[in-house]
Amino acid sequence: MYDEMYDGAKTRNEYKIIADWIAREGIEALLTKQDEAETLFRRIGITFAVYGEGGDPDRLIPFDMIPRVFGPTEWDRIERGSIQRADALNAFLRDIYGPREMIRAGKIPEQMILNNEAYEPVVQGYTPPLGIYSHVVGVDLVRVSADEMYVLEDNCRTPSGVSYVLQNREVMSRMFPELFESNMIRPVDGYGDMLAEAMQAVAPPMCEGEPTLALLTPGHFNSAYFEHSFLADQMGIELVEGGDLFVDNNRVYMRTTQGPERVDVIYRRIDDAFLDPKVFRPDSMLGVPGLIDAMKAGGVSIVNAPGAGVADDKAIYTYVPEMIRFYLGEEPILPNVPTWRCADTEDLKYVLSHLDELVVKEVHGSGGYGMLIGPSATRDEIAAYAERVKADPDGFIAQPTLSLSTAPVLTENGLAPRHVDLRPFVISGKSTRLIPSGLTRVALREGSLVVNSSQGGGVKDTWVLNTEAPDA
Amino acid sequence: MLSRTANGLFWMSRSVERMENVARLLDAGRRMESLPQPDGAKATEWGSIVIASGCRTTFPAPLDTASRANVPLHLAFDDTNPSAIRSCARAARENARAMRTALTSELWDAVNLTWTDIRHRDPHETLQGRAFTDFLDWVKSRGALIRGQIDATLLRDEGYAFIELGKWIERADATARLLDVKYHVLLPHSSDVGGGLDYLQWLQLLRAANSATAYRHLYRRNIDPEGVIDLLVRNPRSPRSLATGTQGICGALGAIGAHTAAQRATHTHAQTLRDQTAGTRVADIINQGLHEWLTDFIGALNTLAIEIGDAYGFDGHTVEPTEAVAE
Repeated sequence: MYDEMYDGAKTRNEYKIIADWIAREGIEALLTKQDEAETLFRRIGITFAVYGEGGDPDRLIPFDMIPRVFGPTEWDRIERGSIQRADALNAFLRDIYGPREMIRAGKIPEQMILNNEAYEPVVQGYTPPLGIYSHVVGVDLVRVSADEMYVLEDNCRTPSGVSYVLQNREVMSRMFPELFESNMIRPVDGYGDMLAEAMQAVAPPMCEGEPTLALLTPGHFNSAYFEHSFLADQMGIELVEGGDLFVDNNRVYMRTTQGPERVDVIYRRIDDAFLDPKVFRPDSMLGVPGLIDAMKAGGVSIVNAPGAGVADDKAIYTYVPEMIRFYLGEEPILPNVPTWRCADTEDLKYVLSHLDELVVKEVHGSGGYGMLIGPSATRDEIAAYAERVKADPDGFIAQPTLSLSTAPVLTENGLAPRHVDLRPFVISGKSTRLIPSGLTRVALREGSLVVNSSQGGGVKDTWVLNTEAPDA
Repeated sequence: MLSRTANGLFWMSRSVERMENVARLLDAGRRMESLPQPDGAKATEWGSIVIASGCRTTFPAPLDTASRANVPLHLAFDDTNPSAIRSCARAARENARAMRTALTSELWDAVNLTWTDIRHRDPHETLQGRAFTDFLDWVKSRGALIRGQIDATLLRDEGYAFIELGKWIERADATARLLDVKYHVLLPHSSDVGGGLDYLQWLQLLRAANSATAYRHLYRRNIDPEGVIDLLVRNPRSPRSLATGTQGICGALGAIGAHTAAQRATHTHAQTLRDQTAGTRVADIINQGLHEWLTDFIGALNTLAIEIGDAYGFDGHTVEPTEAVAE
């Protein structure tokens, strides 16, 4: 099993700063600082809301103080690989909602698209400014060895978690300023500007002059509301709810105390289904009637565009390496995890006879729910899951159980290895870019592979060094 | 500023002010209850508190059964009553939470901790004996703390002006209602008007409005209805008078500014209400009947508040029709 910090007994070069720091502070002292960190998070207000479970709905995501570190060479590969992936996914979306060349070339079955719940027929024929559908793509990566990183899944709709990336850094630099005095750690401050710039770059055709931007949230009861208000603040734009907006003559306006004010680009953090009750769910109270027509008429740009989700479900995922070859003429820099599609008869046969060693997932599942982790499942669980797969083979995919890398976390008994993943956030505007960091999620339960915050996952500050750390 | 933000700040502020004013009303009830009653006279002070608080429709029992046992419970802890102290604390907190980015952390803490404290209180323990007065003092001190944080930490921008606007509308409404309590508390005999009990009731009202000492400073005579009416209606030096409240409304509207014809019209109406209030003579009020005059004032104030909401686009529950035309 690959450990991010230690190579056997030896500390990896890029973690020298961390090892020195832990030795200097001592585990005991660091443990007492954990409380201080928690107070800081609460004061800044970084919580996610969980309703219906009783108690205080404002929860803190557990924060582990030991940062995760990448050297510049390994980061360079992650950066290039993530950008390549985002570019290919946007090319795919442009194609699917346009000429469908990949289908005509026989590289992906048409049913995969048309039967996909996330495919939005209303978007067919609409090409957003710069041809970008998914302006923010979250690429979930796992590592199994020094040189092997895999893409576990793509998030093309409204990937969340970037506020933790920025706030984890803020808290670490407030508590341990000396760590950052080395000037070795690349800053993450540019995210808000980068996103605002991308939004300005995709101003709709009807917009003259500087576009007005806004962030559309479902409201303060949403679990990610903190992130919405934080990002709006970072970009210096209004945080609006559906009720604040209305459409007139294919332009969108906010209701303000000084009368209606036009909005040109909307970063929406609500799902497609709720965006526009005239087109999607008619019972939606969160959306804006007429928004989709306004978008198609060129009166407003929506970030990420509706229908972008067709590129990120777990069945489409298996075709992404092919997209990279087809649209970019390149080989994937970051490979997919080998995946069996249960929709395929041969694959299904293999999956059913190897359930005890595979991870099986629902094609449309998310949040780590509804999956089977073969090696740790009981025989009854496997048998029950087999029935579900047989009943709806199209709904499942399977992957080998990867030996995810571990990184040390702070526990009462000292440092202990826990499994981690990484989600960089790729932004597409005039160019495709990302900040030098990402969301490191860590499975805090010993032996657990599930990093989702809803199931006992925590987060770490994630560093990228600006020069290769010297050999000791 | 988004109309929704203006709405949230306005109602946060009104909820805090109402929370405190309901505590004042309960304090008035508590004080009047302790006045000696002639034999056989029926106590009416708690019923009058229910009427004055505007909670007649939510009060779950017939008004003539209103008592120390059921009125404080309904006005402090009944979650079905939107004007109950606890409901106000919750409404203030919910509005503040939705407008979190428009507030300072000091102000948010003050509002949030008020709610987290009151939400876990046991109603019966809190309303018993000595604990009741401590509770009312606590509510008033939370109101003062929140106002203090608004005053000391908030930017003097449009949001601040909407907070001020909410406060002054609510306070003017509350003072008018408090004065009206006197109308509903019946005196046992008509000959008691001007008598000892009458005097004591006026005194308790002034105390509930924190104005008994101010009265002596300003009027240098014993408490009489003319003086109390002058102080709480016309006197611009009282922090709770209707004159001060309507002046505060005009000041807040001035800070917000008028950008549309509808907004300019509400400014004019607010100024008219202010000038009428300050210009009314006490004798006119008494001739018309204090209760009738107050009823007119409360109605006019309410109309003005609705008009202001409409003009600034925060009607709260109405949703703009789909095909609405931008102004």
